[in-house]
Amino acid sequence: MNYFKLAWRNIWRNKRRTLLTAASIFMAVFLALLVRSIQTGWFDNLVNVVIQSYTGHIQIHKNGYWDDKDINNSMYCNDSLLRVLQSVDNIRNVVPRLEYFALSSFKQQTKGVLLIGTDPVKEDNLTHLSRKIIQGKYLQNTQHGILVAQKLASYLEIKTGDTLVLIGQGFHGVSAVGKFPVQGILHFPSPQLDNQMIYMNLPTAQEFFGADNRITTVSLMLNNPDHINQTVTLIRSVINNDRYEVMRWDEMLVEVMQQLKAKTAGGNIIIAILYMIVGFGIFGTVIMMTNERIKEFGVVVSVGMQKTRLAIIVLVEMIFIGLTGIISGIAVSLPIMLYYKVNPIHLTGNMAKTFINYGIEPLMPLAFKPAFILGNVIIVLIIVSLTCVYPVRKIFKLNVVEALRK
Amino acid sequence: MNIIEIKNLTKIYDKETIPVYALNNVSISFQSGEFTTIVGPSGSGKTTLLNMLGGLDKPTEGEIIIDHINITKLRSRQLIDFRLRNIGFVFQSFNLIPVLTAKENVEFIMQLQGTPKGLRENRTNELLRSVGLGDRVDARPNKLSGGQQQRVAVARALASKPKFILADEPTANLDSKSAENLLEIMEQLNKEENITFIFSTHDARVVAKARRIVTLEDGKIVSDIAK
Repeated sequence: MNYFKLAWRNIWRNKRRTLLTAASIFMAVFLALLVRSIQTGWFDNLVNVVIQSYTGHIQIHKNGYWDDKDINNSMYCNDSLLRVLQSVDNIRNVVPRLEYFALSSFKQQTKGVLLIGTDPVKEDNLTHLSRKIIQGKYLQNTQHGILVAQKLASYLEIKTGDTLVLIGQGFHGVSAVGKFPVQGILHFPSPQLDNQMIYMNLPTAQEFFGADNRITTVSLMLNNPDHINQTVTLIRSVINNDRYEVMRWDEMLVEVMQQLKAKTAGGNIIIAILYMIVGFGIFGTVIMMTNERIKEFGVVVSVGMQKTRLAIIVLVEMIFIGLTGIISGIAVSLPIMLYYKVNPIHLTGNMAKTFINYGIEPLMPLAFKPAFILGNVIIVLIIVSLTCVYPVRKIFKLNVVEALRK
Repeated sequence: MNIIEIKNLTKIYDKETIPVYALNNVSISFQSGEFTTIVGPSGSGKTTLLNMLGGLDKPTEGEIIIDHINITKLRSRQLIDFRLRNIGFVFQSFNLIPVLTAKENVEFIMQLQGTPKGLRENRTNELLRSVGLGDRVDARPNKLSGGQQQRVAVARALASKPKFILADEPTANLDSKSAENLLEIMEQLNKEENITFIFSTHDARVVAKARRIVTLEDGKIVSDIAK
């Protein structure tokens, strides 16, 4: 008879109580994993949408550009810089862009726009821009045409084949004026982007702004986003840091990150309350179990069992109950998480509208990371260990004679 | 040969308020192979004396020397280990571990002692046979009668090969037939294997079997008669 076997048998002395305790742990683990999975899924989805539709994982600018996004803070498009970046480990795509504001005009309508000059092929690899075409054709390097976002096109009452006039201030204050044929209409889920975006190829944009061979941004997409910090370090080691700034997506999307952190904190509070309730439930069981067995504790100590061993057995019993709840919670939640990770939930109604307003497709993919499980296992084991302070203290303070009288 | 020597043993409860002398300057010794019973009215100090002898309680004054070791000086951990290796206990209400079978209850003590598995199993089977429970080794306590449970308790007490066995009112919860049967087994173990038994009891049948009767009253020995 080893002590594990003894502990296992002990916990089944009162099956109903053990099952109720394990069930409360199961519910806590199940709900905590789902909350964490939904939260992280939503978080990752939002971040991926923003990264893949615009920022990329990392951007490189001329030093100071991010704080003052002026075309005069653009940088010379150095081929050797692009080659060096392309050679850095973990970088999948390198997309140079020239971005600046201009005024668009068609017939009686005018509107301020964000104009992006980019390499059509590289841009498509980074943001899958061609998939957003709802009318007309995608950009080509050799053509002069532009792509206009759907809401902007609708406001200007312009369609493919029409010519849009763009007016603005170019590099070093030159006048930027041009007429551009609309070659396609794009749709962005984000209303903000859908209201202001115009794309053209990079040489056309450089010519329009009088910024020959200049760019404002190099967007980088990584093979493994989890290694972003190592990649940033590598980039900084191969470029001139006095001239260029290297920014991670989370440094560029500060507001989004703050919102996400606030939502994550809310979820964490719910999980904390859940575990507190479960903790008190387990503690109640432990108190009952301990007081019912004081005489038995007295007997085993009187016949020669060291109190330390007895405390270990009680601890193992509680860990068994905890593990029963944890394993069943994981066993039920894991398939759900994995299924909805691959097959995201399609949202409808107001929830879908909220997502669209955030610029995200109304899909809710669940996330799964081994850290979720590890975190919950650790939390439950800590709760169990804390509740075990009571019986362990009772055992070490046990008066054998009084215990035997019970 | 004396295996137990008690010198000037005193136990006072509520020492600070109204002192109650559970034992009052008791001195007595026990020899190996004794079959002794301690009798006396309720509150005379029988159980207190047994608790002191078993190292379950500390005296207010005095010494208990077992096999040349003054157990009143031992620390808690040492005392537990001393009990494991030297003293067998039989309690009034059996006190078997409910989740263990008869065999496992007996084996439990030897496991605490670190006895190898093979030896444990052989001795367990032998002990359970000797108390007449060779066919109930796999039964849990709730499937055994009171008499059978107490016989398992005796086998458990013997498992550690103790220097003596302390039995506190071992027949109190048994019917007369079971009590008779239990006493015969203990008497036989005493005679054949020279195992020392010290009982506290009110039961006349136990007293009748005992070869030495120590009577306590108000925490003092008032008579000590060897038959």
